[in-house]
Amino acid sequence: MSNYVILNSSAHAKTQVITDRGADYGDNVKYALTFPFEFRNIQSCYPIFFSKDGDTGQFYPIALFGLANNENLFLSDSGWDATYIPMMIERHPFLIGYQAAPGEGDNDTKPVVSIDIDNPRLSETEGEPLFIEDGKPSPYLEKAIARLEAIHSGHEHNKGFIQALLDNDLLEPFTLEIKLNDGSNNQLLGFYTINEDKLLELKGDVLEGLNRQGYLQAIYMTMASYARIRTLIDKKNLQLT
Amino acid sequence: MNNKINRLVIVGGGTAGWLSAGIIAAEHCIDMQGDNPEGFQLTLVESPDISTIGVGEGTWPSMRSTLRKMGISETDFFRECSASFKQGTQFSGWTTGQNDSYAHPFTVPQSYADTNLAPHWQPLRDQVKFADAVCPQTPLFAGKLAPKQISTPEYAFQVNYGYHLDAGKFAEFLRKHCVEKLGVKHVKANVVDIKSDEHGDIAAITTDTQGDICGDLFIDCSGSRALLLGEHYKVPFVSKNQFLFNNTALAAQVAYARPDDPIQSCTLSTAQTAGWIWDIGLPSRRGIGHVYSAAHNTEDRATAELLSYIEASAGKQAAQQAMVRKIQFDPGHRAEFWYRNCVAIGMSAGFIEPLEASALVLVELSAAMIAEQLPANRAVMDLVSKRFNEKFLYRWDRIIDFLKLHYILTQREEDYWRDNCDQSSIPQHLAESVSLWRHQSPWHRDTGHVDELFPSASFQYILYGMGFETQGSATERRSELDAGEKAGKLFQENIKRTQQLQGSLPTNRELINKIHRYGFQKI
Repeated sequence: MSNYVILNSSAHAKTQVITDRGADYGDNVKYALTFPFEFRNIQSCYPIFFSKDGDTGQFYPIALFGLANNENLFLSDSGWDATYIPMMIERHPFLIGYQAAPGEGDNDTKPVVSIDIDNPRLSETEGEPLFIEDGKPSPYLEKAIARLEAIHSGHEHNKGFIQALLDNDLLEPFTLEIKLNDGSNNQLLGFYTINEDKLLELKGDVLEGLNRQGYLQAIYMTMASYARIRTLIDKKNLQLT
Repeated sequence: MNNKINRLVIVGGGTAGWLSAGIIAAEHCIDMQGDNPEGFQLTLVESPDISTIGVGEGTWPSMRSTLRKMGISETDFFRECSASFKQGTQFSGWTTGQNDSYAHPFTVPQSYADTNLAPHWQPLRDQVKFADAVCPQTPLFAGKLAPKQISTPEYAFQVNYGYHLDAGKFAEFLRKHCVEKLGVKHVKANVVDIKSDEHGDIAAITTDTQGDICGDLFIDCSGSRALLLGEHYKVPFVSKNQFLFNNTALAAQVAYARPDDPIQSCTLSTAQTAGWIWDIGLPSRRGIGHVYSAAHNTEDRATAELLSYIEASAGKQAAQQAMVRKIQFDPGHRAEFWYRNCVAIGMSAGFIEPLEASALVLVELSAAMIAEQLPANRAVMDLVSKRFNEKFLYRWDRIIDFLKLHYILTQREEDYWRDNCDQSSIPQHLAESVSLWRHQSPWHRDTGHVDELFPSASFQYILYGMGFETQGSATERRSELDAGEKAGKLFQENIKRTQQLQGSLPTNRELINKIHRYGFQKI
C-alpha cells in the first residue's frame, strides 16, 4: 500500500530514488492514465483507450500495456522496452497532494509535492538523490516536480476533453476479440473507444470548436494509436513461444 | 368520422397526467411552433386548486425504459425526485405473523427462459428460501446494497430494479420535462363544463380562466373523481371489495434518525391484524403507511399499529412527530376505461391497493398503448377503444388475482386473514390456478398474453415464499431428464454470483451520494 507524506528537505535529505523499471517496482500494470498533451508520444508506442474510474464512474484516457490484469508486455529483464514511458508511470514515487490553505481560494487548498515513503523505489544507498547541498532540490527532483505540474494541468485538460467527447456522443464501448497463436481466444473488455461514425457526422461549428481546443488532434491520435494493438498481440505471441 | 386525431387533451396534472403526457409526447412529435393546423398537439389542463394525492411512491422496473424513452437523464431523475432503488418487496408476518418473511425480487430466477427451478428447489425447501436459492438479488436486501455501481451506465444494472420516489417531486419533474423538452402545452385552470358534439363525443372542455379547450381525444387523469369518464359519461364504477378488503390508508412521512442512515433496497411490507404497513426508503425520508380494511379494524387501532411500527423502527420521537394523513378508497375500477373519445388513466380508471405497486405501471401501460395505437381518425377509434378495454379489463383481473394470492396462503388467525381465505372471496380464475399449482408450478404457458403484467416467476416467488407445496410430476418427463443436473449447477452459480455481488456492490446510500456528486454515464 502507498503511504504518501509531504516532501520535506530535512526529513528526506538522504532519500534516493531508483529509476530502474521492473515488476519489483510496481511497473507490472495493465494500463495507465494518460493526457492529450502526451498522446503524440503515447500513440507511437501504445494503444489509447478510455476507461471508467470505478469510484466515480468518470472517464479518463489510458495507455494500454497488457491484455490481462497485472500484465505489462513492455517489461522485460532489461527494463521497459519502449521509446516513451507515460508520465503517470514516470511520476512514481511522487504525487501531487493538496494541503489546506485557508484564504487562498480554489476551495482553499494548494498543491504540494508528496512522496510515497513505502515505495520500493526509495533507497538511501542507490538511485537519484532528491536533495543536494543546502537542501536544494536535485536536477532529478526539479524534473519530477515539473512533471507533477504537467500532470496537474493534464487532469484539468482531461476533464474538458472527456466532456467534449461525451457532449458529442463520441465514446462507445467496445470488445476486442483476440486470437493468439496458441489458438486461445482472449477478450479485451471494459474499455471505450472513439465512435468514428459519430465523428464523421460532426458539422463545421462543432469541428471548429474541437479543433480550437486541441481536442480534434487528440481524437485522431487516439484513432491512429489503434495500430499499436498489433504490437501488444505480437509481444503476447512472442511470450507464448 | 374521418377527422384526424391530432389534438389530445389531458385533464389532471398528477403523476398519472404528466406521465401519460410524457409517454405520448415521446412517441408523437408535437408541433412546437403551433402554426400547422394539422400538427399534433398535446395540452394538459391542471387545476391550480387541487393538490395531488402523491402517495404512489414505488415503481416497477418498467419505469426505467419509460423514462429513457422520454429522453430523461437518470441522473437528473435521481437528483430531482429524491429517488432511490427498489429491487423488490420484503414481506414480513404474512404467513404466520411470527417472525416469518419472504421476498419478491424483481430479478427472475436464473435461466428462467428455459429452466424451471421450482421443482428442483422443492427437496431443498427446508434448507434455503426459494428466492435466495434461485436469484442473487434477495441476499442484497440485508446489506441495503444497490443494484449497480457508479460505473454502470444509466438505466443498466447488475440486478434488476425500479424506483422509490417522491411523488410530488416526480410530477413536477415530469411537468418540466414535458413542457420544456417535449412541447406539451400546460394550462392551469379549473374545468367548469364539458361540451359535447352532436354524436355525444366530448368536443371541448370549458375552463374558468382559459376559455374552451377543444380536442379530438380526452384523457381523464382527474383522480378517483373521474371528471370525464365518471361524472360526465357516468361509466359505472365496479367495486372489487368482495375480493380485496383494504379501503383505508394512513400515510406518514418519517425522518431518518441520522441523515446518512442506510436506505432499504426494497419496499418493506409488514402484515398487521387487518392489513399491512408499507415502508419505503427515500434518500431524504421514509414513507410509511398502514393500509387496512375498515370493516376489520378501527381507525384508532390502525393508527396505534402504525405508530408502534414507526416507534420500533425509527424511535419514539419519530412516532410522536409523525403527521398521519388518512386516505379512503373503494377498491375497484370502471366498467370500461375508454368510452367514445375519452379514456381514463390512473385513479380515474381505478385503484385496488398499494400492494405490489401496480398503480404507476398501469399508467405506463395505458399511456404506452395509447401512444402505440393512437387512432388515425375518429372512425377507427372505436376499434382501438374496444381492444383497449378488453386488454385492461383482463389486466385488472390479473392484478386482483395476483394481489389476492398474497392473502390466501396465510396461516394467520385474525378475522381479516380468515375472511381473506374464505372461498367466496377468491376470484374463480385464481382458485383454479391455485388448484393447478398444487400439481405443477407456475410456468410460461400459464399466462395468456405476451405482455402479461405479472410473469409466472412472480407467482412462484409468492407461492413458494409462503410455503406452498407443489407435488412432483405425475409422469416421467423427458424435459426433466437433464434438468436436475442443470438445476444443481444453477444453484451453485447463484451462490457464486451472490457472493460476487455482495463483495462488489456499494450500499444504496453510497451510490446515491455518488449519483448526486458525479452522475451516471450514458454509456
